[in-house]
Amino acid sequence: MNLEKVIFGFFIVLSLTLNVGFVLGEYSNPDHHSVYELFGVVVVNLIATGLKLGDRSQIGALLLATSLVADFELIAAALEWTFAVHIIGTGITPEVMTSIVSLAGGALVANIISVVILVSETLISRM
Amino acid sequence: MYTSDELSRVSFIVMREMRLPLITLLTVYSVAIFGMVSIPGPEIDGERAYLSIFHAFYFMTYTATTTGFGEIPFEFSDGQRLWAIVCLYVSVVTWFYALGSIVRLFQNEFFKRAVDELRFALSVNRIGAPFYIICGFGDTGSVLVRGLNDAGMHAVVIDENVERIQALKLRNYKTSVPGLYADASVPKHLLEAGVTNQFCKAVVAITNKEDVNLKISAVARLLNPDVGILTMSKVDVFEETLATLGGEVHIVDPFKTFAKVLNACINNPAFYALNNWLVGDKGATLQSYVHPPVGGWIICGYGRMGMEANHVLTMNGVETAVIDPHARKKEEEVATYIIGSANAKTLNKAGIANAVGLLAAADDDGQNLSVLLNARSLNQNLFTIVRQNSHQNELAFAKADADMIMQPTLVTARKILLLLIAPLLKHFFRYLLAKEPGREKLLEHVIKSLREKIGDKKPLLVTIDFTREKSSAVIQCLDAGEHVLIGDIISDPRNRDRDLDLMVFVIRSAGKEVVLPAREHKIREGDQLLFCGTAYAKQLLKSTLNNEYTLHYLRTGKFKLSSYFTQWYARKFTKA
Repeated sequence: MNLEKVIFGFFIVLSLTLNVGFVLGEYSNPDHHSVYELFGVVVVNLIATGLKLGDRSQIGALLLATSLVADFELIAAALEWTFAVHIIGTGITPEVMTSIVSLAGGALVANIISVVILVSETLISRM
Repeated sequence: MYTSDELSRVSFIVMREMRLPLITLLTVYSVAIFGMVSIPGPEIDGERAYLSIFHAFYFMTYTATTTGFGEIPFEFSDGQRLWAIVCLYVSVVTWFYALGSIVRLFQNEFFKRAVDELRFALSVNRIGAPFYIICGFGDTGSVLVRGLNDAGMHAVVIDENVERIQALKLRNYKTSVPGLYADASVPKHLLEAGVTNQFCKAVVAITNKEDVNLKISAVARLLNPDVGILTMSKVDVFEETLATLGGEVHIVDPFKTFAKVLNACINNPAFYALNNWLVGDKGATLQSYVHPPVGGWIICGYGRMGMEANHVLTMNGVETAVIDPHARKKEEEVATYIIGSANAKTLNKAGIANAVGLLAAADDDGQNLSVLLNARSLNQNLFTIVRQNSHQNELAFAKADADMIMQPTLVTARKILLLLIAPLLKHFFRYLLAKEPGREKLLEHVIKSLREKIGDKKPLLVTIDFTREKSSAVIQCLDAGEHVLIGDIISDPRNRDRDLDLMVFVIRSAGKEVVLPAREHKIREGDQLLFCGTAYAKQLLKSTLNNEYTLHYLRTGKFKLSSYFTQWYARKFTKA
């Protein structure tokens, strides 16, 4: 068993599952999407990205790329939330909620790709 | 770059041929437009209307091309209509003339050749990886190109026969194989094929004419002193000239090669089986050995093949009888020489009833097959070797059920293919065949391990270069001052306690070949390694060579930490 792989896998799968949790629900209904969950997804995703830094193999590069995509979309979603509530002050209207959830949905796809790559690499090398 | 020459030649031809049609077209247009502009049009709102230059050009554009949209932008006056009639007839005729000139140019054989040559030279330049120039795309050439393609190598083809080049373009190769219909012995065409290109590894001259092959070899040597030259020759005189060209020259003589194989078959059936299995002969296995019997042999057809075979057979103490329509050329060690064509009468005279073997070696397939049938009816238990000259007769020969089929084109193609994709193989064979104690045991051992590892799967011969581009992880390890052993890279990444399904034959370190190297053999930069294994083993091995994490695991059994964070953590907390 490779301890590094366990930590890797833990964070990658955790960020995917949290992401799914946030996106689930009626997409324009602010009651169905918790800001704390979004916070959790952003943090776990950033940790996962940090863990992927340094891997010089081809697959490592691909994993890092998907992780960066997820980061960008989640940070954009978080920024939009902050702007709506604190800076512009419109609050979370259904339009804002829809936009935030679609960004998080994009990040979800990137996270799914990450997990697929991770699983298939493990299956191929069977180490 | 040679293509710029070709490009300027083609564009020069186009420009020169199009000069007159274009000038005529221009003149007709300008006169017509000038006329349309200056002829007074109808009266509109009390004023005389004239066509603008733009409208006149627009009118001419659809009139000259016979599109005919009508009178735009206003109804013409009769004066304009009269001029329009003149314009229409003259400009349409001029258009046809110009189009005709282009069509005629594109149908010109000389122009088509120039365009083909340009295209060919451009696609050769685009390859950007090591490639071989194959001159001659007959039976030998097509087997060779197919083999190179399967091994993932690039080839370009020149052939004198336009149909063969057309056939080449229809084949389903994995990489594109540019083909040119031209005489390969003309220096210009060899240049177009990229003989001076930095990626050109070798020129293979295998046309069916001896003198053309010789000329191609000589021209290639003059154009590029460093390029490898491989050629087929069946005549001793040519072989002597070729050998003195200098540089790397390999001459493949299918009959001499066959004679060697026959000799190996008689003396060392295991080696013959191994050789056939490695080259991928149909139905060859490592289990069944062929044993040509020693006793009386009859050779029908005493050409180059008959002579070489006779030489080998007599060397091995076999008494031979020869049947040939031509008179004996020189004194040879032939016990019986019968002049005439092979039939029941001559075969009986040669002692077919008591013979053990028959060699049908004429250069005519029909004759060889009929001799085979004839001889079988006279003696059921004959060991038969038959020469197949044309690939097209494959099915008939397969049905003939001979013990050995000798196909000169196939022998040549395989020999050249092995020289190109597995240059180290000859060292391996030479080592196995050396007359030293223990070598036969070793051969048995090699065959046993190959049988265990590869079994019924298709064996692949693979050459690995330990260079920075092709084995980055290995070189990285060596740069760090660590050792990489052969045993490390051939272990299975899925379970390092067992090896991949392959067998390392030879490694060449610093110009010295080591046959069947030990697992502890240290790899150095620039080494070349030859192994035989399954396709899957090849894939895994090649990925190990370029993946530092897999290589680290195979070398040490530990997982290399890949992320900066875990590396930092390990440094900080495990050492303290």
